[in-house]
Amino acid sequence: MASSPDHHLNGDPKTHISKKPKLSPTFITAAEIAAEFSHHDPNVARINNGSFGSCPASVIEAQQRWQLKYLAQPDHFYFNELKKGIHQSRTIIKELINADHVDEVSIVDNATTAAAIVLQQTAWGFSERKFDKGDAVVMLHYAYGAVKKSIEAYVTRAGGYVIEVPLPFPLKSNDEIIAEFKKALERGKANGRRVRLAVIDHITSMPCVVIPVEELVKICREEGVDQIFVDAAHSIGCTDVDMKRIGADYYTSNLHKWFFCPPSIAFLYCRKSPKCPELHHPVVSHEYGNGLAIESAWIGTRDYSPQLVVPSVLEFINRFEGGIEGIKKRNHETVVEMGQMLAKAWGTHLGCPPEMCASMIMIGLPACLGILSEKDTHKLRTHLREKFGVEVPIYFRPPKNGEVESINGYCRISHQVYNKVDDYYKFRDAINQLVSEGFTCAQLSS
Amino acid sequence: MAEKIIMFFRYYVPRFLCPNLSFRISRPSNRHYHKLNHNDTQTQVSVKQKPSSFITDTEIQSEFSHHAPGIARINNGSFGCCPASVISSLHQWQLKLLRQPDDFYLNELPNGILESRTVIKDLINADDVEEVSIVDNVSTAVAIVLKQTAWSFVEGKFDKGDAVIMFRCTYGAVKNSIKAYFLRAGGYAIEVPFNFPVTSNEEIVNEFKTALRREKGIGRRVRLAVIDHVTCMPSFVMPVKELVKICKEEGVEQVLVDAAHAVGCVDVDMNEIRADFYTGNLYKWFFCPPAVAFLYCRKSVMTHLDLHHPVVSHDYGNGLVKETGWVGTRDYSPYLVLPSVMEFVNRFEGGAEGIRNRNHDAVVEMGKMLAEAWGTNLGCPPEMCSSMVMVGLPACLGVLSDEDAMKLWELLCKKFSVEVKIHYQNPKDGELAPITGYVRICHQIYNKFEDYCRLRDAINQLVRDGFNCGNLEIMRPEEVGPTNDR
Repeated sequence: MASSPDHHLNGDPKTHISKKPKLSPTFITAAEIAAEFSHHDPNVARINNGSFGSCPASVIEAQQRWQLKYLAQPDHFYFNELKKGIHQSRTIIKELINADHVDEVSIVDNATTAAAIVLQQTAWGFSERKFDKGDAVVMLHYAYGAVKKSIEAYVTRAGGYVIEVPLPFPLKSNDEIIAEFKKALERGKANGRRVRLAVIDHITSMPCVVIPVEELVKICREEGVDQIFVDAAHSIGCTDVDMKRIGADYYTSNLHKWFFCPPSIAFLYCRKSPKCPELHHPVVSHEYGNGLAIESAWIGTRDYSPQLVVPSVLEFINRFEGGIEGIKKRNHETVVEMGQMLAKAWGTHLGCPPEMCASMIMIGLPACLGILSEKDTHKLRTHLREKFGVEVPIYFRPPKNGEVESINGYCRISHQVYNKVDDYYKFRDAINQLVSEGFTCAQLSS
Repeated sequence: MAEKIIMFFRYYVPRFLCPNLSFRISRPSNRHYHKLNHNDTQTQVSVKQKPSSFITDTEIQSEFSHHAPGIARINNGSFGCCPASVISSLHQWQLKLLRQPDDFYLNELPNGILESRTVIKDLINADDVEEVSIVDNVSTAVAIVLKQTAWSFVEGKFDKGDAVIMFRCTYGAVKNSIKAYFLRAGGYAIEVPFNFPVTSNEEIVNEFKTALRREKGIGRRVRLAVIDHVTCMPSFVMPVKELVKICKEEGVEQVLVDAAHAVGCVDVDMNEIRADFYTGNLYKWFFCPPAVAFLYCRKSVMTHLDLHHPVVSHDYGNGLVKETGWVGTRDYSPYLVLPSVMEFVNRFEGGAEGIRNRNHDAVVEMGKMLAEAWGTNLGCPPEMCSSMVMVGLPACLGVLSDEDAMKLWELLCKKFSVEVKIHYQNPKDGELAPITGYVRICHQIYNKFEDYCRLRDAINQLVRDGFNCGNLEIMRPEEVGPTNDR
């Protein structure tokens, strides 16, 4: 089992935790990894790390130690431990994402909260007449459903005009994305409108592809977009995350998806800039007006332990060869390999080229399964979970005009350190069995 | 002296000598703290109790054995407490989530939240479980209510200058929320003063009525009233029922009761209080882990108001209950332990009500003991106390500012291992040698008589030593937390 030193619990202001993984060959073993995730349901082929992530036992233990520390003497904890602990986590994140200053890094519950923070200030922009009614906000068609609702709740309600960038799927290259994005910006600027905000996914959820954010941010700057918000819910621990290279104004990512934190913790990066207006956490507390990072560090009494375990998580990650870089690389290579294996076994294809994937990949499901609606995807997913013990999300791709016998159902497989090749074989065999039985989604009850 | 002997007996001598005491010796009950199987749910507050199996004093101590030893923890009001059996239930829920999160979020979470909401609905005597949403804490609930008022200004339903009315002692974070939403959108704030120590409900009610009528008299529309049920600092119980009635009579459109402390501390009845919105924390006095709270919204209000959780997710537009049931990936286990908490509470004689009554009696007794020992006074009549009471500190200690109060708090904590909040009260004009410093003592089931003796003796020692807050060094700014912490 992982060692769990207490130094960070004693208020030791160790603000520079080494990012460097171990050099000596005492890397974590396969047996230790299995032990770290032994709380996972052993009967489930858990190939959906992308949705809710995973948390190793040693980090759960660290979290429970923080929880008990608080419960032992909460007043003391609040005044003497909490701020320091959060600052330490923020400092680690700042280094991980290559931000200039720890002030630029706030910790929040999840990317959904971060989106609300950014969009709330856009809403005030309209309400306080800084923006004109009809000024635009641009987002991708594949933006996450909850983020689309947040845009509706804040931007549309306040008088903004929302433009969706359509994207083809399957995708062949980044050029397709860039071309559509440019067209959307043109529409945004039509009739003298200003584009006040661009909301760009770094890795879309469903269907899952890695978006060329650097190029898109550059285009936004060239076209005079006021602010750029990158919704990178999956990114940290999954793909490269470099604030200086990407150049966005706001960038958020969950650490409980691919960075081994317990639910839930995310960061919101806000570029230090005189143009950027003051952001506020929607849950207002004592620290209102002291800057977003300070506001977010106290939003009333809560269990902040998920936000305090980042040092323990880094220790866990550094037990792997190559640290987080090594994990990312191996996850990517394996998920591509498994994706290709499944596509071949089913006679289908991948949803995008391997270089547009990170630790997740889309694979077409055999057309004969009859996935003809989003409802069918839920039914099939439930069927796979209940009958075959396979946890995997399914995406419905509406057929284009004139398409005949197209593949309209895609699965999204993930690979994380706890996955085994058997997980993917189990899935392969389940689908093959359904095909051989002549199964169609129409047979499943609603 | 006789009183001291009696109090010693009450808290230390086995109960068979003092039949009026709260907790009876009993055989340990079988512990079954948490039902993870959602099919056999405990959705009703149990009223039937077996006299022979009430929790014992040893069991209580064991439930709170994780509390730091050697501290007189008489500040339950700020952060509450959580018994070991509920923590165990919490961890069980967490592990369930981590084991198979997709299945958990889809199939377990909605049922679990509904169970908890049903427990709360019964506790607060709401008519319909659809009136009860679960949120993280009162700060979140307040943001929800205030956000819709901000939109009302922006969308022209309210006019610039329309007002919110509140008491001066309204919690600092709530005042900030009013600033961030109501005032920012164009509203105006009315603060109602009152004298402290308070002497009666009538004086509070009169101050409120006077302020309200005066503002209405100059043509101000009062759109919202924010009223504490149990104030934070200084702490006493507000006559909420009467205040809500006055609001309705005077045409205040919406009434929000900030009842951060109320559940587990005072009687909470939605049908009696009749506010439009009522929010309370459950981790302060109702043994929940941090953090879980509820927001009650009267049905009649929900039909014409557009309330939303500020963290917008998939269920946006499907009603506040659904929206609050999913605010993105989170650890919702604090929301799910209400049934386990009910099991815990029902191990006590009289259940939640029994606990409340005994806490109240004990804290009043301790308050009087301290006031007598120090030659001071209580901050309000006993009937206006909950499980907390303000006790005047000897004037010679020189608590002459909020900063002094913080200094004294820190000294009591570090030198005497007493955790208790100190309040600075502005003296009234012309008052001679007034008492300007008050402690807020709390009583919860884990407290012991010696906790209050330690405070008593600490203050007496400071008095003997000729201590004065003016002598203490200024603390470093980062050591000074919010002055108005709950």
